[in-house]
Amino acid sequence: MATLADLKISEVKLSEEQTGKWGMVIDQDICTGCQACVAACAMENNLSFVGEVDSGYGRSMHWIRIERFWEGAYPEVKMTPNQPMMCQQCGSAPCEPVCPAYATMHSQAEQLNLQVYNRCVGTRYCANNCPYQVRSFNWRDYERPEPLSNQLNPDVTVRRRGVMEKCTFCIQRIHKAQDKAKSEGREVVDGEFTTACAQACPANAITFGRVDDPESLVSQLAHRGHGVKHLEELGALPSVTYFKGG
Amino acid sequence: MIKRIFDWLKQPLGLIAVGIAVLALFSLAAYGIYTTQQPPEQPIQFPHQTHVAFGIQCLYCHPGAAKGPAAGIPSQAKCWGCHNQIAKTQTSLLLAPLKDAVTSGTPIEWVPVAQVPDFVQFNHRAHIAAGKNCEDCHGDMSKVTIAQNPQVFNMGWCLNCHVETAGQDHEKLVKLSDCGTCHY
Ligand code: SF4
Repeated sequence: MATLADLKISEVKLSEEQTGKWGMVIDQDICTGCQACVAACAMENNLSFVGEVDSGYGRSMHWIRIERFWEGAYPEVKMTPNQPMMCQQCGSAPCEPVCPAYATMHSQAEQLNLQVYNRCVGTRYCANNCPYQVRSFNWRDYERPEPLSNQLNPDVTVRRRGVMEKCTFCIQRIHKAQDKAKSEGREVVDGEFTTACAQACPANAITFGRVDDPESLVSQLAHRGHGVKHLEELGALPSVTYFKGG
Repeated sequence: MIKRIFDWLKQPLGLIAVGIAVLALFSLAAYGIYTTQQPPEQPIQFPHQTHVAFGIQCLYCHPGAAKGPAAGIPSQAKCWGCHNQIAKTQTSLLLAPLKDAVTSGTPIEWVPVAQVPDFVQFNHRAHIAAGKNCEDCHGDMSKVTIAQNPQVFNMGWCLNCHVETAGQDHEKLVKLSDCGTCHY
């Protein structure tokens, strides 16, 4: 009988060719910066509302944020396209090896970076090692006054003070879709479900799906040619492809 | 000052006092653990064994187990479906809360017994589909009145069964031992 010890980390191939399983394509040219994805993500994933004071300390909590940059020097400043930024679900994630508690694991089944809340001891090392700065820390138990307390998603853990959290690619939706497909005796079909951000986006700037399936919409888009992966030179093998100026 | 306290504790009376204090702390801790292992007070002393003896299937009252994450606790409408045809319901003292609940329309507030922590995402359907029986985790309900946990649900116990179920199937083992399968 195979045991847990047989699943050695060394079995995970960290080669350039590794494609991962789930991936995302974001078209920055059609993103309007409306923040609907940010709101949808917060609702879906039980994010805390940090409030003005703590936000001022840089403790705001988002699993996705819209970045904007300025190019050029005054007065010729030009705004770059809006850039939705979330956990890139790296194939070789810098956050993973630094966790002393093995709380940020690489899921071998789903090829995602996991955050196991009950294991996290809150060293915040992972957040400091994340080149995309997409991890947020629960500095407090933030209050959810009525009626906000009634909108919690039962499929997602409500995090407590002292743990790290980040985008999960809506793993609860992945599991739900897989469970439904399995109960009907079939495979998950492309487009059957999507992440909360992609679902909410009015401009359809975000596409989510299986990148290891060449037929899926997301791989077709990803292979269109001019997409970039952010900070690709770090070799973290991110799963999100961005399009800009196409 | 501290030396004086130590000196006092070293004499026979002091030793007895220390002994009593240790004993008191120990029994308090033991009592604390004992209380966590007691089934909670329920609004009705629901006799599971009687219902099982009548041949009622688990899934008749807890149909959610076959369909989704939560097995569900039946509403009083479900109880009443059978009980309003049973003469004893009108007279039984045990069933008075049910009669009251139905006539006044207030829900019965059952206390869930078999629970996993918030950071564990459990799905009944997958377990039933994998051929697990209710009693594998919840114990033999034909022997107990109100539900009790015969089994402490902890991760080692879950994982043991997962690894056993996967057997030689590597793909299954990967899935069943993945942190992300239960924790997200
Ligand atoms: S919802 Fe779509 S358009 Fe709006 S900010 Fe997000 S990605 Fe951009």
